[in-house]
Amino acid sequence: MELDVQQISKQYAQVQAIKQLSFGVQKGEIFALLGPNGAGKSSLIRMLSGFTQPDSGQIQVTINNNYYPSIPSHALGYLPEERGLYPEKSVLKNIVYFAQLNGVDKKVAIEQAKYWLERFDLLDRIDGQLKSLSKGNQQKVQLITAVIHQPSWVILDEPFSGLDPVNQEKVVQFLAELKTKGMTVILSAHQMAMVEKLADRMLLLNKGQCVFYGTLDAIRQQAIVSGVLTAKFSDTLNDKKVVSLLEHTSYQILDEHTLRIELSHHQALNEVLLILPQLGELVGLQSEKLDLHQLYLSAIAKHGAAINDK
Amino acid sequence: MINKPSKWQQTWLVTSWEFSHFFKWKQELVSKFIMLSIGLLVFVWQQVKDDTQEYYRIAVAAEVSLPQNSESFQFVQTSLDLPTLKNELREQQKWDAILIEQITPQGAKRVSIYSLDKQAWLELLQQFLIKHYTLNYATLLGLQAQQLALLNAPASFDFSYLDERIKSDEKASSATAIGSLVLLLVGMFTSFGQLFVSVTGEKQQRVTEQLYACMSPQTWIDGKILGQMLHAIKVMISTAITGLLGYALFSVVIEGKSFDVSFMDWGMLPWFTLFSLSGIYLCTAFMASIAAAIDDPNHSAKTSIMLLPLVPIILTFLVMDSPSGWALHFLSFFPLTSFAAMPVRMSVIDVPLWQTLLSFSMLLLLSLWLRGAAARLFKMGMNMYGKEPSIKQMLHWMMSDRSTN
Repeated sequence: MELDVQQISKQYAQVQAIKQLSFGVQKGEIFALLGPNGAGKSSLIRMLSGFTQPDSGQIQVTINNNYYPSIPSHALGYLPEERGLYPEKSVLKNIVYFAQLNGVDKKVAIEQAKYWLERFDLLDRIDGQLKSLSKGNQQKVQLITAVIHQPSWVILDEPFSGLDPVNQEKVVQFLAELKTKGMTVILSAHQMAMVEKLADRMLLLNKGQCVFYGTLDAIRQQAIVSGVLTAKFSDTLNDKKVVSLLEHTSYQILDEHTLRIELSHHQALNEVLLILPQLGELVGLQSEKLDLHQLYLSAIAKHGAAINDK
Repeated sequence: MINKPSKWQQTWLVTSWEFSHFFKWKQELVSKFIMLSIGLLVFVWQQVKDDTQEYYRIAVAAEVSLPQNSESFQFVQTSLDLPTLKNELREQQKWDAILIEQITPQGAKRVSIYSLDKQAWLELLQQFLIKHYTLNYATLLGLQAQQLALLNAPASFDFSYLDERIKSDEKASSATAIGSLVLLLVGMFTSFGQLFVSVTGEKQQRVTEQLYACMSPQTWIDGKILGQMLHAIKVMISTAITGLLGYALFSVVIEGKSFDVSFMDWGMLPWFTLFSLSGIYLCTAFMASIAAAIDDPNHSAKTSIMLLPLVPIILTFLVMDSPSGWALHFLSFFPLTSFAAMPVRMSVIDVPLWQTLLSFSMLLLLSLWLRGAAARLFKMGMNMYGKEPSIKQMLHWMMSDRSTN
């Protein structure tokens, strides 16, 4: 692993932001950090960037056989959660300033700025004051400043927030392009559809703890609910019969003819399929995999309930 | 991957950014144009005045004793009545002024002077006439010229001090001391105001984490302080030039004297520069660290703390009239006040070189320590949003040994 996190914890006053967290990030992948507000994503990002240090545990970043306790600033491109640039200065001046601070020659920085601004349809605003741009466009300028020096590591905290669907799609393409250039991208986001498209692997946090971690397929395997089966019957469903036959199954009666059954990994599909004809004549059967959004909601709900039980 | 620039390169980038952020070309050009115009006016005035050397014709009523002509005034006695003289003054411009003398019931002389409008040379005429009447009275009283001189200057005063270090040219000493304090005050106010706006602005614009990702807090604060110091130097130089031009305008154009700047002790300039720059560095570093801890500049109680660096200047002003006293002596060594007090002390008394060097060394050491302490405060302060650290917390950060490089 290029980034190896072992058993880190972080506490702020009375709040346990991160608790005994371990995971790794491979070179050149897009790694997503997921979790509800207050889950600890930004705290984790600050530790990975070296702004704060874990109270316990260890972070190790390997770059060219050198080891660092966080991603070193010379290799880092960063879009923080609390973000902003200099509103009175022009778009170009903002980009070039940050590029120069990161070691890019001024001429190269101007060329690169023009390239990326054109990609984001902002080239005609290059000399305008940053404050004259919409919030979404300012966000795009901020993204450019984070990567213009072509760092090997890019950390983006909520890169899609404040963007409309068209621009969200542009950012997806932008991030995919960073991956093709060999950059390792760590991003936190709430837009599950975007993450599903982009991320090679992901880590779901809740209350500072790991809920699931790995590829989407692996997460589906880890998830308690792996799929959903919707069955439609010709006759009206008998509630008592449903309760007795589906005693060990999670289900929901959608209407008097339709049943929604959540399938767990521990439960063979065949078993359920044998039960269903006993409830009446089947006129329709539909199976679907859970998408990331559903997996996320289900996992957070289950994890929250488990913590409360403890 | 691109090579990261050195700390020096990053510091210079921040310095240039900070300087250019507050350097407005339009305002600079306008102010320089005004200064240049004043300088040009002084020069032209001096040239024109030297070339023309005009004099004023004054009509004097017949009964008045005729003053002696001078380079500036030519007095012509006439028997014409006042309305005719007024007419000649207004219509033919034969005269520049008309002089009428009356005796009051108490026996005093009352002189009326008529002219077309109010002009500066009328004051010179009045002074000339006062001398003329004084001489007349002296003659009337039978006084000799020597007796009259004694009446005008009954005694001369000469101060001698047993403390031989006090400089003999008191006028030059106090002008240099006051001048250096005023310039320091101007430089400090400039860097204060701008740095406050800059630091709280960056914090409110949420640009801090992005900057921390590029460079260390030490590099950042160094760049900001140097940028503001450049501004302070620029303002101090332009204030000094403006002051000199103003003085030139007053002495050359209004008073008609030559441009003489020997009233300043110019030998003090190198020391003043060294102490001032160190002092501005010290205070700007303090200012940056306090400003970083302010979350909302409109509602923070910490803004009052930022007036503290003005205390050394005020204290020096208060004690500068007693240059041999213990207060100025102490202030000139104490590192928090020496940047203001030592140049003032050096202006008014001869300070041994070892004392100056010792004072400057202590100031430098404090500045170096404060550089690190300010960066520690700056790092913590700039990362805090929504709440402000307590004074106790700030002191703890300052004294801690956390690296900010």
